[in-house]
Amino acid sequence: MLYVVLFFLLFSLLLYVILAGADFGAGIVELFSSKESRIITKGTVYRVMGPIWEANHIWIIIVIVILWIAFPDFYNVLTVYLHIPLTLVLMGITLRGVAFVFRHYDAYKGRLHKLYDWMFRISSLVTPIFIGLTFGAMVSGKLIITNDYAAYSFYDVFIAPWFNIFSLLVGFFFMALCAFLSAILLIGEAKKEDINIYLKKSIVATVLVILSGFFTLTYGYLNDIIFVTDFIENRYSNYLILLSGILIYPLLRSIKKGHKVTSRGLAGAQVILILTAALIAHFPHIIITSTSEIGLLDNVASEKVINSLGIALIIGGSLILPGLFHLFKSFKIIKVLDL
Amino acid sequence: MDNLDAARLQMAFTLIFHIIFACVGMVMPFFMIVAHKKWLNTKDPIYLTLTKSWQRGVAIFFVTGAVSGTALSFELGLLWPEFMKHAGPIIGMPFSLEGAAFFIEAIALGFYLYGWNKLPEKFHWFTGVIIGVSGVASGILVVAANGWMNAPSGFDYIDGKFTNIDPIKAFLNDAWFTQALHMTLAAFTAVGFAVAGIHAYQIYRKKQIELHKKAFKIAITFAAVAAILQPISGDLSAKDIAERQPVKLAAMEAHFETEKGAPLFIGGIVDEENQEVSYKIEIPKALSFLAFGDFDAEVKGLNEFPKEDHPNIAIVHYAFQVMVGIGTLLMFAGILFFVSLKKKKWWELNKFWLAFTILAPLGFIALEAGWIVTEVGRQPWIIHNIMRTKDAVTPMPGMIFSFYTYVVLYTILTIAVTWLMRRQIQFLNASKI
Repeated sequence: MLYVVLFFLLFSLLLYVILAGADFGAGIVELFSSKESRIITKGTVYRVMGPIWEANHIWIIIVIVILWIAFPDFYNVLTVYLHIPLTLVLMGITLRGVAFVFRHYDAYKGRLHKLYDWMFRISSLVTPIFIGLTFGAMVSGKLIITNDYAAYSFYDVFIAPWFNIFSLLVGFFFMALCAFLSAILLIGEAKKEDINIYLKKSIVATVLVILSGFFTLTYGYLNDIIFVTDFIENRYSNYLILLSGILIYPLLRSIKKGHKVTSRGLAGAQVILILTAALIAHFPHIIITSTSEIGLLDNVASEKVINSLGIALIIGGSLILPGLFHLFKSFKIIKVLDL
Repeated sequence: MDNLDAARLQMAFTLIFHIIFACVGMVMPFFMIVAHKKWLNTKDPIYLTLTKSWQRGVAIFFVTGAVSGTALSFELGLLWPEFMKHAGPIIGMPFSLEGAAFFIEAIALGFYLYGWNKLPEKFHWFTGVIIGVSGVASGILVVAANGWMNAPSGFDYIDGKFTNIDPIKAFLNDAWFTQALHMTLAAFTAVGFAVAGIHAYQIYRKKQIELHKKAFKIAITFAAVAAILQPISGDLSAKDIAERQPVKLAAMEAHFETEKGAPLFIGGIVDEENQEVSYKIEIPKALSFLAFGDFDAEVKGLNEFPKEDHPNIAIVHYAFQVMVGIGTLLMFAGILFFVSLKKKKWWELNKFWLAFTILAPLGFIALEAGWIVTEVGRQPWIIHNIMRTKDAVTPMPGMIFSFYTYVVLYTILTIAVTWLMRRQIQFLNASKI
């Protein structure tokens, strides 16, 4: 049953990154658009994301709940030592969600919409950066796990692990991934005359992903960050990254041919490959602190707990997934053969 | 202010807001689907306008409820890491199911909001029913998890270690049913009176009278039924607390000495130092009867328990008085509404509408007061008789700044939501039906 739980954890995390990532990216694409294309983007984003964006963001709650039930010690480290970046993520999620609703549900259209729009765009930009920052902090090797808080300064324990160049670079990399996902998604939904806008954006985003990835790895390598050196030396991680890179070619072809489902699938697959590569680089340890390494499976909840969680997840999943699939299908986010 | 107080304040503050958003998101879908059903049955366009207007309310509150709920799911760990480390696996069952129910609600909401003229009529309406049902289910599941904090079960506690965990037993703890019932009824009462009150005010102002009367009737019917049933559920809760958490009951009643045939105090000012309650109304033997169904039963007083196990007595006592007082008032208001159905003339009186306007915020005040009773009343424990709140708090210093940040964020949120709702009503009043 532990594997069922692990599967759901990974599955929810990946879906969160892809679906919510594309959703964050929509705001980023909008932010970096010219005035006219901003309005077009806003309309497109609403059409594509409106019915599904709420559901997209619930995956993070599932991730959190699985972590705290099944892997309480691991979760404990996150909440104690990454308190500040996680709080920043929360602020971002809150402001963004609220701005999205306000700009589409205010009964009157007026000047205030400018405020909602900017709130939406800015929080779309910073939230994924903070999420990436948190990931970065987990593997930065700068976390200090201690019971003796008096021995260290507040800065050393609670700020330094995430407030550093490496974590920030990971933040930018994650942000670029979000923009990439969204640009590809929007190509498929745009009207013919607008397609070029998103084509350009997706190329810029792709370049950004490659560059920020390159910088992150170079910086990490030069500064001897264990995670990065492991990543570079791990054969499987390299294969996955290589494969993700190769996929750019079919992606470009499918975009040119207007196969929107294929292009979305490919873009999603690329991001999943990159994340998996990062995940296995230092497997089974996911948190690398200054003195030790912490694995997800170091301290798992008792068997009875895992079993009941597994059953709850299977039942929940069997209700949610068909519903979600139907939702995506009904609003043409994915196209399947009409049976 | 020390770290513990700041963390407690932040938790209280975020919960107070989340409860409002979550309750509206949980109850309003029911009003919406009733109006929707009436539109499908009668094809009266007023019902369609009403449905669409309520649907915007549902969407706005669902999102604010969802984001403040996401924040809370993080905050439990961020503020109380030691609690979550041990309690997480034990009370995970209701939380994971709640996650699922909430997910289903979000999916159904997606269908409902964007499904107009796209989905088959009946299926579309049914997705609205799913929103309501899964919303209530989420509420019950979360309250069940809270119930466990009051009535911890499903584990053995040996030498400070939690072993032999049984998640199902923890889920079905002794407090889950009475708390969930009380909260569900409270949610319907609070939201019903609030929504009905807002529409009553529009009738009072003579705006779109026909529409607002229809809206009023739907909302108040739910509220009145819930308010009339609530005292029964309150009685169940009181008897349950008397048995499980005698300190909490004693604090609710500001009852210091153990005695047989204990009197019930209504109101009064608590003087904790001299152990006195002045200016109260005293009903002989009533507390014994209410708590144990026996006029001569013994009710334990606060002095029976060590001082370090006492909650803040004044706060719990006052909050309890507010809850019961308003609850009783709303029960009578509910009865008044059912009488008014026979006396149609009342519906022409402006006083009638003014009365319901004034009642609008009271349900929520009682609801918040009730949560203050149960949460402050459980202190100093975060898990009753097992773990103290002070041992659960985050080791990170400077929580006060986190608290201030949340105050700013949630204040903006509340102002914005209130303002947005006003605009919805203005828009509704200005529209031609």
